[in-house]
Amino acid sequence: MNATTDTLGLPPRGSAAEHDVPALRRPGARPLAWLHRHGRVALAVVLLLVLMFPFLWLVQIAFRPAEGAFDDSLLFTPTLEAFRALLEGNFARSFANSLLVSSLSTVLSLAIGVPAAYALTRWRFRARGRVALWILITRMAPPIAFTIPFFLAYRWIGLLDTVWGLALVYLTFNLAVVIWLMQGFFEAVPAALEEAAWIDGCGVWSAFWRVTLPLAAPGVAATAVLCFIFSWNDFFYALILTRTQAVTAPVAIVNFLQYEGWEWTKIAAGGTLVMLPVVAFTLLVRKYLVRGLTAGGVKD
Amino acid sequence: MAGSVSIRHAASPRGWEAERRHAFLFGLAPSLLILGAITLVPAAALLLISLTPLNLLDPAGTFRFDDPLVNYRQLLDDPRFIGSLWVQVRLSLSSVTLQLALGLAIALLLNANSRVLAAIRSVFLIPMVLPPIVVALIWKILYTPDVSPLHRALEQIGLPLRSLIANPDTALWAISIAETWQWFPFTMLMVLAALQMIPDEPLEAARIDGANRLQLFRYIVLPYIRPVLVVCALFRLIDSFKAFPLIYVLTNGGPGTVTEVTNFYGFIQAFNFSYWGYASAIAVVMLVAVLAISWSISRFKGSDGNERHD
Repeated sequence: MNATTDTLGLPPRGSAAEHDVPALRRPGARPLAWLHRHGRVALAVVLLLVLMFPFLWLVQIAFRPAEGAFDDSLLFTPTLEAFRALLEGNFARSFANSLLVSSLSTVLSLAIGVPAAYALTRWRFRARGRVALWILITRMAPPIAFTIPFFLAYRWIGLLDTVWGLALVYLTFNLAVVIWLMQGFFEAVPAALEEAAWIDGCGVWSAFWRVTLPLAAPGVAATAVLCFIFSWNDFFYALILTRTQAVTAPVAIVNFLQYEGWEWTKIAAGGTLVMLPVVAFTLLVRKYLVRGLTAGGVKD
Repeated sequence: MAGSVSIRHAASPRGWEAERRHAFLFGLAPSLLILGAITLVPAAALLLISLTPLNLLDPAGTFRFDDPLVNYRQLLDDPRFIGSLWVQVRLSLSSVTLQLALGLAIALLLNANSRVLAAIRSVFLIPMVLPPIVVALIWKILYTPDVSPLHRALEQIGLPLRSLIANPDTALWAISIAETWQWFPFTMLMVLAALQMIPDEPLEAARIDGANRLQLFRYIVLPYIRPVLVVCALFRLIDSFKAFPLIYVLTNGGPGTVTEVTNFYGFIQAFNFSYWGYASAIAVVMLVAVLAISWSISRFKGSDGNERHD
């Protein structure tokens, strides 16, 4: 229940891991157990290499010279040619669009969602369970159910192919993420601290601003990163709701694939650039990522 | 968010309670209003549109409700729609099963006390966090014979393989495998977390009683992680209805309509043919299916007595 004991984080030593220790101590089993443990690690590493091979293959293509994109030899002189060609084209612009849309949507959903999450945490009202279910459902609903009305409405009011329009649509999933995650972080802040602030004359929101929010700051940061990743990764909404002006990086990659399908080094470079922020952020918020990706799936 | 600094409430506790309630409502209201505007309003609009023959060529059909169920009747008679449901079922069942199996196996493998294992855990997460379009790109390269390292390797050992995504017999499996690769980390994570919460005592006791590894798994570990596996399966099932980038990039629903899932068929009807009324009916059907599964998740979670939201 307590968000500080992050059960889903990946602590280096799990409690279940200790089971192997008695096995080691059993007399006579020592060499076998030794082999067994290292066999496990070896198997895991092999599996890792096999499973990550497709991913690594894409990355290495991005650094190959265009004429030798598919040579089998792994010995080649890495070049940034593909990246340079990519950024000279329109890709830089769609990359900037992606950054803008994702940041906008993140800021909006935090500004609206954080106070709501706080209210839901501290205020036990009767319809609370129903509100929670509704928020969960918005995360579950298939995007196509939202895209058709949004597309028709945007066409009518002229928000089609705009950065703002796209950022607004991303609220449909980001708001749910913020409200869901931040409740866990706020629960971890002892209510007694706020009560002390109230007694000292703070109003509810001034206590929130001065006491609770600073204490939950790491949670806000992690939530922001997750919102950013979710917006950044979106393809479906961007494909339908943009044309030329507000095209995001994932859509630009698909356009490459359709119209310049032979330039594999450029395509691979585009893919590498698009996943770069996500992989970097993932390492940053590894611990909270789990809770975000499984939002609603576990009782944290 | 500027709080009103007042000392009034110190005097009257009831006034302070009311003030608190007002303050919370003030924080909650914008969120609920906006969430309503961007989810409930579109859902209602979707339902209304699905009752009209609205399409690009017939803009006058916007508010024509003379035959509200026309789209739904048509759905029942549309072999392509029925076929898409069947494709969806096969893709969802195969990929969710494979994900659960692979995710569970890797979680069990990684669940040991070792610095190496702890370090590589997060690397296994990469497929899940990659932008879906990059996952699609990765598999496009692997499945395109003249650029794929796998196809070339097979050719070199004398076993040339036709393109898996151009072959109607294998295309759906190819997508299912790519989907499995993308999402096994989800199950892996959830199971790892569950494994770490298993108390030591029953395992110790069983071990002292001479239970072997398989028995330990079957009688102690599995009962503990079964709820997590069920929730994983339901979650992945719902998300599998939304599978889009992989299909869009790898096969575009083809060859023929072999990989055309319901979501994709709805997309084609709405945004290739502009039959918005008909596509909305498809989306409504999907929405109902998702709601039904969400409801069963919340019931399932409620039934093991740990429901968080009372």
